[in-house]
Amino acid sequence: MTAARTITFKLNGAPVTADVKPHHNLVELLQTHFGLTGARESCGQGLCGCCTVVVNGKAVSGCLYLALFVDGAEVTTVESLDTRDKLSPVQEAFVEASAFQCGYCTPGFIMMVTQLLDENPDPSDDQIRHYLTGNLCRCATYPEVMDAVKLAAKKRKAGATA
Amino acid sequence: MIPFDLAEPTSLAAAVKLLDPDDATIRPIAGGTALMLMMKAGVFRPEKLISLRKIESKYSGVSVGADGLRIGAMTTLSALERSADVRKNAPVITRTLLTLSNIRVRNVATVGGALAHGDPHMDLPPVLMALGATLTVIGPKGERKLAVEDLFAGYYETVLEKNELIAEVHVPAQGTKKASYFKVTTGSADDWPALGVAAVIEGDGKAIKSARIVASAATDKATRLKSAEAVLNGKTVDDKLLREAGEAALQDCEFIADVRGSVPYKRELMKVYVRRAIREALGGGTH
Repeated sequence: MTAARTITFKLNGAPVTADVKPHHNLVELLQTHFGLTGARESCGQGLCGCCTVVVNGKAVSGCLYLALFVDGAEVTTVESLDTRDKLSPVQEAFVEASAFQCGYCTPGFIMMVTQLLDENPDPSDDQIRHYLTGNLCRCATYPEVMDAVKLAAKKRKAGATA
Repeated sequence: MIPFDLAEPTSLAAAVKLLDPDDATIRPIAGGTALMLMMKAGVFRPEKLISLRKIESKYSGVSVGADGLRIGAMTTLSALERSADVRKNAPVITRTLLTLSNIRVRNVATVGGALAHGDPHMDLPPVLMALGATLTVIGPKGERKLAVEDLFAGYYETVLEKNELIAEVHVPAQGTKKASYFKVTTGSADDWPALGVAAVIEGDGKAIKSARIVASAATDKATRLKSAEAVLNGKTVDDKLLREAGEAALQDCEFIADVRGSVPYKRELMKVYVRRAIREALGGGTH
C-alpha cells in the first residue's frame, strides 16, 4: 500500500539513490538518508524558511515538499556552499555581520540570500526585505541580516572581478 | 504525516481515470503546499494521492492571444508572477502575487491548486473572479467550461466532481478596464488576509459603465458583491456613492469570524475597503 519507492536524483552535484515512502518530506529524506541537517523543520508550515532547499534552481520549503517529488531533480542544500577551508561569500558575510544568535534559522537565510543575489546581485533594502519575508529569526537579528546581505553582495562583486 | 500511497500519472486523462467520484480518500495533489499543511494537521487523511506533476507540459505556462490569457493549471505562482504576458495583460495579477505567501511557496504552489483548494483566504480567486476568468475542467466525460465565479460552493468547497480536474484558466482580454486588489492583513503584509477585495471597472473617468467587485477571506467563500455593483453601474463616482456601495456590499456577504478578526470588525473593513478598491481601480493603473 505505502511501499517505499527508489528514487534517483543529484544531491549537491553527486548522483544518489534513496528508498522513500510517499508520506516523507524532503527534510526527512535529507536528514535520515544523507545525514544533512542544515535544512531543518521549525514552523512546519512554510512560513519560517528554516527548511529551505533548492530544487532545480528554485528555493522550496523542504517541510512542505514530498520527498518523492525530487526524483530526477537537482537538489542543493546549504552543505554545498562551503569548501573544506573556505566559506561562501554569503556565509562569510553572516559571520562578519553577526547576523545570527542561536543560528537555527541561519542555513535557511543563507540559502535564500544566495538565491536572491544570484537573481539580483545588487538588491535595494526593499527588495531584500521582500525576498526574505518568508524567513523568520526568533532572535530578531534582522538589522544584522540586512547588513550581511549588503556585505555579501559586495564580496560577491569583488570575487567576480578578482 | 500518516502514510498514504502516491500515483504519478503522465497525462491529465490518466489522472482523471485514477480518481473516484465516490471515494474522497483518493485526491489529486499539484504543488501540495496547502495539502501538506492539512495532512500534517491531520484534517486531511488521504489513502492515495494522484500527483499531477508529471502530466503533459502543456498544462504549465502562460500564452496570450487576442481573446486574453491562457494559464495552464499547473503553472506555478512564481511563473505567473514573472510572466511578461501577465504583467502586460492583467497586471493586477502580477501585483497580487508579490505578497501572496512567500517565494518558496510561490515556487511550488500552482494556479489550479489555488482555485481547487476552495480556501476563501487565497488571493487569486477574488482577482480571477473580478477579471471574469473561466476554467476548462476535465472529467471522465470530456471537458466543460466553468466561470471561476461559479466554482466555489462554500468554505473549502467547490462545485467540481471528485473526478474532475482544472486544466486551464482563461482570463479574457481586459481592454480599457482598470483593476485593483486590496489584501487586508492584520499581521505582516504577506500574512493570510482578514479581507481581500478585488475590483475591475469599465468606465470613463469617474463614470462607471460596469463594475465587478469580489470579496474574500472575510467571507465563507470568494463572493461577488452584486449589490455594490448595482449601486455603481451607470453612475458617476463621488464619496456618497462610494459609501453606498460599501454599505450595499454587506448584503452580499456571509461573514466568518476567525483569528484575523470578528464579524463586526470585518464588516467595517468591508465598507472601507470596497470604497478604497473602487477608488484605486479608477485612479490606479489599468487592469
